[in-house]
Amino acid sequence: MMAEGVKKMTKRYVGKNIFKVDAREKVTGNAIYTEDIYFDNMLYLKIKRATHPHAYLRRIDISKAQKLPGVVKIITAADIPKVKNFGLIIKDQPVLIGIGQKMRYMGDALAIVIAESKEAASQAIGLIEVEVEKLEAISDPLRAIEKDAPLIHQDGNILDTYYLKKGDIKKGFAQADLIVENEYRTSFLDQVPLQVEAGVGIFDQETEIIKLWVATQWLHDTQADIAQSLGLPKEKIRIIQPVIGGAFGKKEDISVHIYLALAAMETKRPVKLTYTREESMIAQSKRHPFIIRMKTGVTRKGYLTACQVEVIVDTGAYASSGPAVVHKGLYHCTGPYNVGNVKGVAHIVYTNNTYCGAMRGFGATQMAFAYESQMDIITHRLRIDPVQFRLQNAYSIGSSTPNSQILTLGVGVKETIKLAADIAGWKE
Amino acid sequence: MKKNGRGIATIMFGFGYGAGFPDHSIASAEIEDEGKILIRTAAADVGQGVLTTITQIAAEVLKVKPEIIQIIPGDTHLIKNSGSSSATRQTFFTGNAVKEASEGLLSNIYHYASIEFRSNHVELGIKDGYIFRNDNPNNKLSYWELAEKVKESGDSLKAEASFFPRTDKPDPNTGQGEKIYVAYTFVTQVVEVEVDTDTGIVQVLKVYTSADIGKAINPQNVEGQIEGGTVQGIGMALMEEQVIKEGITLNPDLTGYLIPTSMDTPRFATRLVENEDSEGPFGAKGVGEPATIATTPAIANAIYDAIGVRIFDLPITPEKILKALKKRETENKIGKKEDF
Repeated sequence: MMAEGVKKMTKRYVGKNIFKVDAREKVTGNAIYTEDIYFDNMLYLKIKRATHPHAYLRRIDISKAQKLPGVVKIITAADIPKVKNFGLIIKDQPVLIGIGQKMRYMGDALAIVIAESKEAASQAIGLIEVEVEKLEAISDPLRAIEKDAPLIHQDGNILDTYYLKKGDIKKGFAQADLIVENEYRTSFLDQVPLQVEAGVGIFDQETEIIKLWVATQWLHDTQADIAQSLGLPKEKIRIIQPVIGGAFGKKEDISVHIYLALAAMETKRPVKLTYTREESMIAQSKRHPFIIRMKTGVTRKGYLTACQVEVIVDTGAYASSGPAVVHKGLYHCTGPYNVGNVKGVAHIVYTNNTYCGAMRGFGATQMAFAYESQMDIITHRLRIDPVQFRLQNAYSIGSSTPNSQILTLGVGVKETIKLAADIAGWKE
Repeated sequence: MKKNGRGIATIMFGFGYGAGFPDHSIASAEIEDEGKILIRTAAADVGQGVLTTITQIAAEVLKVKPEIIQIIPGDTHLIKNSGSSSATRQTFFTGNAVKEASEGLLSNIYHYASIEFRSNHVELGIKDGYIFRNDNPNNKLSYWELAEKVKESGDSLKAEASFFPRTDKPDPNTGQGEKIYVAYTFVTQVVEVEVDTDTGIVQVLKVYTSADIGKAINPQNVEGQIEGGTVQGIGMALMEEQVIKEGITLNPDLTGYLIPTSMDTPRFATRLVENEDSEGPFGAKGVGEPATIATTPAIANAIYDAIGVRIFDLPITPEKILKALKKRETENKIGKKEDF
């Protein structure tokens, strides 16, 4: 703690608006993004995707596609029997769906087409014939948790459940003069980075190292995910980070990486794969839609006494970072307010929707819509000024979060309330 | 009719992976040829500006101009793990690792220079990449000259450091634990909107933000994060939804999936709370994710303030607003009392 009147040490560069170090390269067009990388003799990939959101693959016929001029090779699951599932937290995502296996959403991959041109690769996709045995496609997480719902993964449609229990929730509601209870819903969002998924791969025959140029938010973890899936030592996968065209959570998961690695090893030529925006939206992660049932107790004088929350989260076809998103959301259920009695449960549920993963705020964003709407409703019902209400409930040093973590440092929440109200000219 | 409203929201965000998930960053600093100091980190700059943040931290500690700091591009085979650019963690985690590595390098500069100058540390001065004895500042050695001498002695001028704070895995039945997140960022936003009751269209006019981020390493960059995050929050509040029916996406393009454009961007006023009271570098906390969180509820609350109806499912589209207004009109006619 700094004593009053002590002058803070002056700094030369920290706290200063120095020019962004990568701005010049970007605005002059000199920055090299994956899309800018080109090698002679390069081949282009295209992915044949699922034809139904929930179905067994019964037959796949690549013979017509293979005869198309320019097509070099088509890889199906039959060609890669040793390749394993991948995934950020749980390895539940197959690289390619094989005969007798299940496609679980429209982004699941059935085949990798490798061709001399993008056009040939795109055309070949349309010539691949697929027969499937359709199952009920589950789009609603509330349907997914019904007893008679078909299983999307063998261990059940509820992937995981998280709990919060602090204080005595019954006592908390007994102390309340007003109880407000509502259900909130948030939607599937795409992170919409300007840059869609794209990558270039080369297999070095001498070192047997697969070199990948793919924008990724976590180099070494992505490297591990690829290596485990391919059954290779980590050092055989080298990822070189190009300039990144935005991410917002969407570049945490595997996208083009394993397809590129397989195609590079197969052809021994440079390979490139760029998703279309449509493919990016259907195949890559979304923000999880939350169903939040929140019950908040408050005294007549406007002090919060209890918060009870039930959350059902649709993670789509695969887990990705879903389990972490769900508990982060749950653990933020009271917002920055002192609430002595908290009870929460959050279920994460598989459906046949596009899988959900990381996006800016990671569950805490969805939860804030619920708790801050509740706070607003309470201030209207009690006719208390929302600024005053927030100030009297907000955390300070020594406050305890829903996890009972005691805050010991950096609790400037009341100052933010006062400052924001001040610059907005807020008056009761 | 156009009606104006104002809403407020205050949020918190526990950053880092937290909940016992191992979370660390490794970085190194070394004297490089051609007058550069090389920082090795795998921290991905996704546009948020971590490379600039690191540059400022290293320049500050090593007392050189930011242009001297060079960061090698990410490569799994040349640099060690710095964790992900997610969870609002890079300024705090990699920022701390770079600060410590820079301090390690600076310590070594003092150590070897004190041998060269046959002096103790207190007699040494440092300025703009030169080290000298205070009693004879003209007889100075640049960091690079010193590095050459160190090299001759078979050693090298560099340092590696990491930042690896502990968090606890919460009790699975209660979610209780001593330290679940390394630290928390707080944001309050006040939003002013205009709602057209004939069309249901909402225009966000002004956004006032105050964020407790400990210390802004680069204030303009922090403001940029807040403005970008707010615009993303406007999208979530008012227009964005990937519509998936029976597993099929009905709007897989940016014609059917709307995001805010410059025409939807409000005017901003931002004030930072900088108490320099976190365990981050120079007291800094993260801002990336919390920058977007308060916007959606603040807009929902402002819409209620403007027209007296509340929408509980996102996004708050013109259709939903018109439907809610119509429902209220019908209820008013039959004399049903408004709930809130």
